[in-house]
Amino acid sequence: MNARETIVADEVPPGSISVVTEAGLVAPALVITVVIYLFPLLLLVRYSFNAFKPGEFMVTALTLENYVNVIVDPYYRAVLATTISMALAVTILSLVLGIPLAHFISRSVRYKKALILLVIIPLFVGNAVRAAGWMLALGEQGLVNATLIRLHLVGSPLSIMFTPAAVLIGSISVNIPFVVLTIQSVLEGVGASVEEAASSLGATPFEVFRKVTWPLALAGIRTATVISFILSMNAYATPVLLGGPGFQMMAPVLTDEILAKNNWPLGATLAFVLIATTLGLTWGFGRLRLRARP
Amino acid sequence: MSRVTIHSLSKYYGTSAVLDGFELEINQGELVVFLGPSGCGKTTTLRLIAGFITPSSGRILVGERDITHVPAYDRNIGVVFQNYALFPHLSVFENVAFGLRRRKRSETEIRQKVEKALDMVAMGHLANRMPRELSGGQQQRVAIARAVVIEPDVLLLDEPLSNLDAKLRLSIRQEIRRLQKSLGITTILVTHDQEEAMSIADRLVVMKDGEIQQIGPPQRVYAEPANTFVADFIGGANFLTGRVIDNKFQTANGLILAAAHLPPDCRSVVIRPERIKITSHHGSLDNAITARIANETFLGSGRIFDVRLQGGDTLSVYVGAGEDGQPSPGHDDVVLHIPAKDVVGIRDATARAEP
Amino acid sequence: MSITDRQSAPGVGADRRPARAADRWYAWVGIGRAIYFVGVAASLFCLLVPLVLVMWLSVFESEIPAIPPSGYTFGWYGKALANKQFTGGASLSFEVALLATLVGLGISIPASLALHRRRVPFSGAIVQFLMSPMILPAIVIGAGLYVALIRLEIATGLPLVGSTMGLGAGHVLLTIPWCLRLLLANICGVNRTIEEAAASLGAKPFAVLGKVTLPLMWPGVVAAALFSFVVSFGNLEISLFLVAPGQITLPIAILQYLEWRIDPSVAAISVLQILLITAGLLLTDRFVPLTKVV
Repeated sequence: MNARETIVADEVPPGSISVVTEAGLVAPALVITVVIYLFPLLLLVRYSFNAFKPGEFMVTALTLENYVNVIVDPYYRAVLATTISMALAVTILSLVLGIPLAHFISRSVRYKKALILLVIIPLFVGNAVRAAGWMLALGEQGLVNATLIRLHLVGSPLSIMFTPAAVLIGSISVNIPFVVLTIQSVLEGVGASVEEAASSLGATPFEVFRKVTWPLALAGIRTATVISFILSMNAYATPVLLGGPGFQMMAPVLTDEILAKNNWPLGATLAFVLIATTLGLTWGFGRLRLRARP
Repeated sequence: MSRVTIHSLSKYYGTSAVLDGFELEINQGELVVFLGPSGCGKTTTLRLIAGFITPSSGRILVGERDITHVPAYDRNIGVVFQNYALFPHLSVFENVAFGLRRRKRSETEIRQKVEKALDMVAMGHLANRMPRELSGGQQQRVAIARAVVIEPDVLLLDEPLSNLDAKLRLSIRQEIRRLQKSLGITTILVTHDQEEAMSIADRLVVMKDGEIQQIGPPQRVYAEPANTFVADFIGGANFLTGRVIDNKFQTANGLILAAAHLPPDCRSVVIRPERIKITSHHGSLDNAITARIANETFLGSGRIFDVRLQGGDTLSVYVGAGEDGQPSPGHDDVVLHIPAKDVVGIRDATARAEP
Repeated sequence: MSITDRQSAPGVGADRRPARAADRWYAWVGIGRAIYFVGVAASLFCLLVPLVLVMWLSVFESEIPAIPPSGYTFGWYGKALANKQFTGGASLSFEVALLATLVGLGISIPASLALHRRRVPFSGAIVQFLMSPMILPAIVIGAGLYVALIRLEIATGLPLVGSTMGLGAGHVLLTIPWCLRLLLANICGVNRTIEEAAASLGAKPFAVLGKVTLPLMWPGVVAAALFSFVVSFGNLEISLFLVAPGQITLPIAILQYLEWRIDPSVAAISVLQILLITAGLLLTDRFVPLTKVV
């Protein structure tokens, strides 16, 4: 992320605090993060190889049974498939909607700050609150149905809530801020004058986009794709609130295994299958994109 | 390579005018420089001509063609940007070829023209480099080649030299001038550097607060500034305020100067520091004034003397290194000689009021 | 062929497309532009609709969220503030966010002072490690911490899950990366020559840190504090595992309420949360421009 690039190796004049002191300054952060983050994750990895016997909680073992179960069991395969296809759809649609807004913000002067604030506020408000808004929009007596009925486009209310479509819409609105902010910052660096130069040389708006804006924004678009994909693979509140009990995605399922069913080994396994799938597919996209571009 | 006619061009943002009633005719093959401080509207005018922004009112004609509402990509106007705006993902060759490719020219023609254009700016050997591998001066040359290779009707240069160091600035300036003359392209260059403007321009357009202050050849603008702003902005200038009495100019401190051109209602005069001569005797010269040297600044090519006149007015005087009569500060009186033709009356009374 | 050769008469060089074709071309450009602005509008719409609807719902008169509403009232704000789940959740969220922010700042400030010089071995890797909780799915982090805390509970007999301490520990994993990111970005803006000037005037290394570097990075510290607070206050996924019945944070309270029903009172408490977070973001912007933070 950002901070990595902003750190530059520095010559330190004599008389500065010593390396040992500096190490001492870093130590608390490192120790705390290891204890409350790395150690629990390793514990979770270990548990994913344990066995679970109903009624007996967790039994220490060293077995791949959980991983085999997750891969073989059609229920978990279906959950994983739903999660992947939802994440793909959300990512593509978030990009389609987010790129124009990112470009618009990067090229606006007067309202840039206000627009950025409009993008950031939803980002921090939390997914549950935003889901509440969509519940009002998509419910039986919600805004969409009320409008459709008033316009006599439908006779009786459509059921949109608790469908994949509702989750899709909700997740897109969760992901758009990330997509917009990532691509906007890259376009900001590209600058408007390159596009103006292209148009002064006779490039039509389509050609400007295809020959200049797109190739220069590609790095940002890639990052945005990855972020959006990871986010939607791990979505919790949106599928729970908008998808309803019948709609299963990985994050709620693994939470349920651990918290409600106390099946830690399976929950842990699902967690790492989720991470592995996410990373694997993300890596795969990268390869795919490289192959496609000579 | 066309005449450019700009007719009462204005640009408002809300109620504030960035450009107000801009009126200008540019002859075929002429190099016009828009000169003024930042925020004077010169870059806005350039962007209006390029088609990056649309005017609030007014018309722009290239030749007989009204381009006011033609989109930028159909104007055939070459633009060189302050930050060069090379396409970072394309090689030097492809940068220059970009405009020709948009015009669907054949591969052979593109190759031929790009090579010719790059040779013209002495960049032919670096055709395969990427922009980030070039120095600022090299990038600037590529930007120029890219703009002229499309054979534009008009070439626009937005502060093309401001990001270069002093030495490079001089050589690229001459190169731009040479190229412009040999190609005969109607050219507009925007700058805030008065020296750059005077050295390169066929005609200067001095601007301030979105309005034209003066249009004319550099020599005329320098010798006969239309107002104190122009006089002050272009070159060093001494201002004296007062009024006209009997075809002579009388300052508030009682100094009386003969002047060749003196509008009867003028309230101030401008005298260029290098026009004032320092001598030791009165002789029969006009405007011979006794003065005392208060301070001296060495500039390398000459010296600036701050002199105090008997009545209390002060003037700065430039004396070139090779010139005779190098006085030094002290208590001795010297005699200043100011030729009447170099005392230029200015109409507006707001002497030095501008920042 | 000379570069000055003209292929057409002066002034008509750009008329390379026949007039009628040009008209059609401009129509296409118009359509393209329309699509672009539809994308911008749809994107903004997706971002703002949920928030606007939540605000609208919070003033509905009837308890059942039906559109069009039968009337308007501000009464639900009073009811929301009388709801123990919400007020308890808000106060716990506040407490946890404050704790996590203070701990996060307390260990991130020294760490950033040392890490920005890159003298400590593996500085780059350490920064990446400390920042990684930002990228790893929060659900997995929460799950790991949950199982580790339960283990610790069993070993020590202390009630950790559901305690403010346990929640705080999880939220520290949110605040450390954000603090580091903002502080590191900010330290780099501190002019090194000012530190050198202080040293040349006789300030000892720790005096330079305390009297010069820290005061200069003050805006970064404030921004880090506000941002950490906002991120922690709005977090749902990590808290999910670390709350206990009767000990829930505001986002969890909202989530649980919404799983059961949606009515104007939950919208009212959501609006209050939106206002708090917006205020926090606007305040942050006064210290470090938001455009540089995200």
